[in-house]
Amino acid sequence: MYKTSVRGILIPGNKSYGQVANDILHPLEAKSPPLWWYIVASLAIGMTGFGIWGIYTTVTQGIGTWGVNNNVGWGMAIISFVWWIAIGHAGTAFSIFLLLMRQRWLTSITRTAEAMTVLAVICAGIFPLLHMGRIWNGFFILPYPNTRGPLWDNFNSPLFWDVAAITTYLMTSAVFWYIALIPDLAMVRERAVSKVKKRVYALLSFGWVGTARGWLRQETAIILIGGLAAPLVVSVHSIVSMDFATSVIPGWHTTIFPPYFVIGAIFSGFAMVMTLMIIIRHVFRYKDYVTQGHLDAIARIMVFISMFMGLAYATELFIAWYSAGEYEIFTFMKNRVTGAYYAAFWIMIVSNAIIPQFFWFKKIRNNLVIMFIITIIINVGMWFERYVIIVTSLSKDFLPSSWASYHPTVVEWANYIGTMGIFILGLLFFFRYIPIISMSETKGILKETSNIKEEKHGNH
Amino acid sequence: MEIINIIGIYNDPDDLVKGVKKVKEEGIAIKNVFSPFPVHGLAEILGLETRMPLLTFLYGVFGASITFAFLYWTSVVSYPLKFGGKPLNSLSFIIIMFVLVIFVAVLFTFLTFFIRQKIGPGKKAVMLDPRTMDDKFAIVIEKDPAFTPEQVLKISHILKENGAVEVNEEVQPEDYKEERDE
Repeated sequence: MYKTSVRGILIPGNKSYGQVANDILHPLEAKSPPLWWYIVASLAIGMTGFGIWGIYTTVTQGIGTWGVNNNVGWGMAIISFVWWIAIGHAGTAFSIFLLLMRQRWLTSITRTAEAMTVLAVICAGIFPLLHMGRIWNGFFILPYPNTRGPLWDNFNSPLFWDVAAITTYLMTSAVFWYIALIPDLAMVRERAVSKVKKRVYALLSFGWVGTARGWLRQETAIILIGGLAAPLVVSVHSIVSMDFATSVIPGWHTTIFPPYFVIGAIFSGFAMVMTLMIIIRHVFRYKDYVTQGHLDAIARIMVFISMFMGLAYATELFIAWYSAGEYEIFTFMKNRVTGAYYAAFWIMIVSNAIIPQFFWFKKIRNNLVIMFIITIIINVGMWFERYVIIVTSLSKDFLPSSWASYHPTVVEWANYIGTMGIFILGLLFFFRYIPIISMSETKGILKETSNIKEEKHGNH
Repeated sequence: MEIINIIGIYNDPDDLVKGVKKVKEEGIAIKNVFSPFPVHGLAEILGLETRMPLLTFLYGVFGASITFAFLYWTSVVSYPLKFGGKPLNSLSFIIIMFVLVIFVAVLFTFLTFFIRQKIGPGKKAVMLDPRTMDDKFAIVIEKDPAFTPEQVLKISHILKENGAVEVNEEVQPEDYKEERDE
């Protein structure tokens, strides 16, 4: 039913099953990682160290070391939190497209996208914890029997919904990623030469051998967990948006927020996946697995989503004017389009709604350097989107006497850069120790989607 | 007691499916089928089924009820706290319930997979032919001590006829404990 040939040959080069493993595992089986790995790793360790200093300062001295004040109570921490969660959305979105819509061309991308999801959600989770100020009281967010009544959490609060949604998201994406990983780890186990490596991968692969019954259960479990994760793609960022939308702050109190945030999340996630796939394709010589066709298809999806972003921005402005609400109009027209934060607003518009339109041109979709630059621009633009939403609305609200501006301090930058270090470091370990492309799934599509078939059956 | 297995090795998933079909038609019991990736159609031929979808549904129902019970008990029974004139048994419980249904169902489905498949950290993988992890496919048939040499020859012949590139007879390792695939 799903064996259409729309996408053509997915894995060119007439590969045999054995060759797939050789091709995919070469970074993992190399004696030592390449030089660039060490360079990037030391850079990432430096960034993480800077972040650890930031976290240490925040925890020991308090939120006073940040630039937030009574009016702009949410600053870099919440911007970064929303930014990271959004990046995490691509992994789940990709897997759901793959599984539920039988888009088998995504096979070579999902492993990386899901690893990225898990890492991004971990990075995101750091910020709300830090923002509590007294991190040692963090367990207060959990509903546990206590001696204060027992006084329970407010289950009608979006902030509590966030806790539930993000915990579930982290657990689900990690589980989904790992269950698909088990057969590949077993493959590494069988090929490992060194004793230590064999031991470690034997432990990680849980004694998987690949019987027919095992495969049936594994596939069923993946489909079930994938199906359950599908609503999470929509719900997690909707819940994050409700942190804003359920308040009465002008610019936040709008019904467009949940879909607007979800689309934005998928947009920035796709951009990050594209950035990573271009790098991986180049440095690990995976050109036969991540083909130009893959990147072309993702770019086409991104044009589409970018137009949604433009529509969302336009709708916000239109509704602000159409509502005739004094404060809404002020926030949008005097404090975003013009005013002190106009640069952030226009960076957001240009990099999210206008620059991705270049993907309409085939020449640009075929030029990986330009594509790489555009994906970086999109991620910067998405950061500015959160900056615009959070800072402009809080800085000038109803009472001019309580207006304030916001300037992030070095500690806040350290926290943000630190999470980037953690993210990059995690990815480097993923590149080094885990098969980057799912081998069992690639082998599964090899015969149907490459020219291996004609040649073999020609001999019969 | 020593168990001897007849192992037919295949190069191609389609040949494997053909082979399994033929062996079943001949009424020979298949012990295990190994493949480096899920081969579609194999489970149907072997008559394998899984009740995991039903279990996941039940986990979801369990998750929804336990979450609602907890929210109701904390907000209405244990510490009713009226604010903003809103009802204690609130409609917005749906959001927490929605998320926790997914949480409970995913976690329990994951655990069910390991429990049913009897795998987990520390389990030793005993492969009858390690090549089946990479690029070979295998049908394993247990050699009954009552088999006559003619019967054994016939099995090997059937396997070979249907695309097996090798047929080996091997002593099964003592610690091999896979569930039967049929």
